[in-house]
Amino acid sequence: MINQAAIKDLIIKMADDELIQGHRNSEWTGLGPVMEEDIAFSSMAQDKIGHAWALYRILHEDLGGEDPDRFAFLRPEKEYRSAHLVEMPNGTYDFSLMRHFLFDQAETIRYESMQESSFESLRLLSKKVKGELKYHTLHANAWVMQLSKAGEESYGRMQQALNDTIALAAGLFEASPEHEAALIEDKVYPGEAELYRRWLDRIYPVLVKASLNLPAITAIKPVYGGRQGIHTIHLQPLLKEMSEVFNLDAEAGW
Amino acid sequence: MYGGGYIFDEPNKKQLREEQQHDEPEKLAAFEERIAKGEKIEPGDWMPVEYRRQLIRLIEQHAHSEIIGALPEGTWITRAPGFKRKLALIAKVQDEIGHGQLLYNAAETLGKSREAMINDLLSGKSKYSNVFNYPAETWADVAVIGFLIDAAAIVNQVANAKGSYGPYCRALERICYEESFHLKQGHDAFIELATGTPAQKAMLQDALNRWWQPIMHFFGPPDKASSHSEKLMQWKVKMASNDDMRNQFLDSYVPKIWELGMTLPDPALKKNAETGKWEYTDPDWEEFFRVINGGGPCNAERLQVRKWAEEQGRWVRKALMKPTEKRALPVA
Amino acid sequence: MSNDSLDPRVNRLKLGEAGEVVKVEEGENWNIYEVFHQEKRGAHHEHVGCVHAPDPQLALVFAKEQFARRKKCVNLWVVKSADILAFDVEDEDMFANNLEKTYRDASGFKVMEKINKFKQSK
Repeated sequence: MINQAAIKDLIIKMADDELIQGHRNSEWTGLGPVMEEDIAFSSMAQDKIGHAWALYRILHEDLGGEDPDRFAFLRPEKEYRSAHLVEMPNGTYDFSLMRHFLFDQAETIRYESMQESSFESLRLLSKKVKGELKYHTLHANAWVMQLSKAGEESYGRMQQALNDTIALAAGLFEASPEHEAALIEDKVYPGEAELYRRWLDRIYPVLVKASLNLPAITAIKPVYGGRQGIHTIHLQPLLKEMSEVFNLDAEAGW
Repeated sequence: MYGGGYIFDEPNKKQLREEQQHDEPEKLAAFEERIAKGEKIEPGDWMPVEYRRQLIRLIEQHAHSEIIGALPEGTWITRAPGFKRKLALIAKVQDEIGHGQLLYNAAETLGKSREAMINDLLSGKSKYSNVFNYPAETWADVAVIGFLIDAAAIVNQVANAKGSYGPYCRALERICYEESFHLKQGHDAFIELATGTPAQKAMLQDALNRWWQPIMHFFGPPDKASSHSEKLMQWKVKMASNDDMRNQFLDSYVPKIWELGMTLPDPALKKNAETGKWEYTDPDWEEFFRVINGGGPCNAERLQVRKWAEEQGRWVRKALMKPTEKRALPVA
Repeated sequence: MSNDSLDPRVNRLKLGEAGEVVKVEEGENWNIYEVFHQEKRGAHHEHVGCVHAPDPQLALVFAKEQFARRKKCVNLWVVKSADILAFDVEDEDMFANNLEKTYRDASGFKVMEKINKFKQSK
């Protein structure tokens, strides 16, 4: 029997990250740098929100959780488990792209590690999203490579974006101390430390090819807190927006 | 999404005379014969200067309407209630950008670059559909736009899809297919509110009341006020008269509004059983022209947001420009 | 900073002044690539439109979402519009007599007629 509290905790973290990142990315819809990219980036925002929905449904259907819409949009801020990386406002496109690159590589590593998970629903979901994530990382890698090789200004922006996001992105791998051992032992997934190592292995060659400088691994101080319900100042206003219509009448159908 | 209420160019007499000198009579006859037979005109074909100019203007305005049209609804993406509505709304706004992309490409085949079109939008030289200069104040506005503005757009676009210019027709074919999803999701959200709580119904009624005049404006001024449609109709640039399209829209959609117990803010609105035509109070056409010329509640914001987007994206575009590379217009 | 918009998203942006002149440079939207879409394995790739992109790699990335986000698709091609060679439309007359050349068609040969005639003659 898999530890239910531990698996819930894991799924909420994953879902909240995807939900908030998807919302941030969706803010670019209609405002992207060129129409073609606007469309591509919007699709990936939809995919993220879709993944979040699938995860909340697993909570609801397999683990006795609340209705996915209510759970996703009507919780108090403290109960969200999103990492600080995804809460940050979009900033300029370099920041958004670099975050997208780091986040989607992390997401890919995470789902890959769950293809053999002992928890069936995660195993099935990880197989289902494989193709989508392949596109996301193809897109992210292409942009990181191209913009880093496109002259001084562009290179400078990408390097700065990497400097600004790397510690935040490392914070995606914040473990929940009370649950981590159980999840590893139950073979739900290999654990955050292992995913962090695999993620660094995955992003490193791309960054090298792009001639971007990754700080020494030991110098990266992951930004933790999100997994314990401690959030940036940016989350609450977004949550307020996300729940605004629902809160007009939380019992009504919309 | 949207077309309708196009402002066609009124060339001055001198300009027209000069152009007609370039329009060789035999070629013009062959061109008009092709159109009369129902054949399409393709990018490399000979075409009258006036045909090219009006088409560029038409397709460009349509394209601008799509990317500006993405803004009022884009407003509600973060606030959309629940996963299903939210994903449908993002997908819909994304489609508008996609339609803009297809339409700018179609216009480019006629020789005007995407950059030139964007510049004319930003400078205010080129117009877009008036409806997007009104604010989307509540969630019910999203339902009204998704249902009724998209429905109006479909009436217009289905007509235009039978026009004479191949690339525009092909773009519209795809656009109409996607619009049917927009209309359905809009109708669904509309029904949800119309059959919901008293507060939801009131919210929807309020939105309907505010949007009714812009919707009546959507197809453009009454036929009696527009003077230069004949040639454009013969060339199958303009496919139906403004009044005919308005009537077709009212015929299809007013019953769908009434059947849900909602009302429309025009006591004179009714179908004349004898003529089969709808009768209505003329909307304020002065307001229509005031908004087209920049005086609407959101004109300034829409253009400022578009300018912001262009400025934000500039470094990305510039970084990857290859000025010496061989370029060509889209082939079809 | 608030822009006094009803759009919370817009209120997060630092908009310029009204009337500010913003111009896009010619070529800033990159080059044009034609897109060909294969609906299922074994089918032809068919032309479905074009994308603006700085190079073939991003053209393909863009084409995937603009031309294959809804309908069935198994593969895409992109090719620079400038690299496409086509006949002039005035050259349509070169193809005009195709239908008359029945010796290229199965229908141009009346085999059964001849067999029947032969059988009857026996």
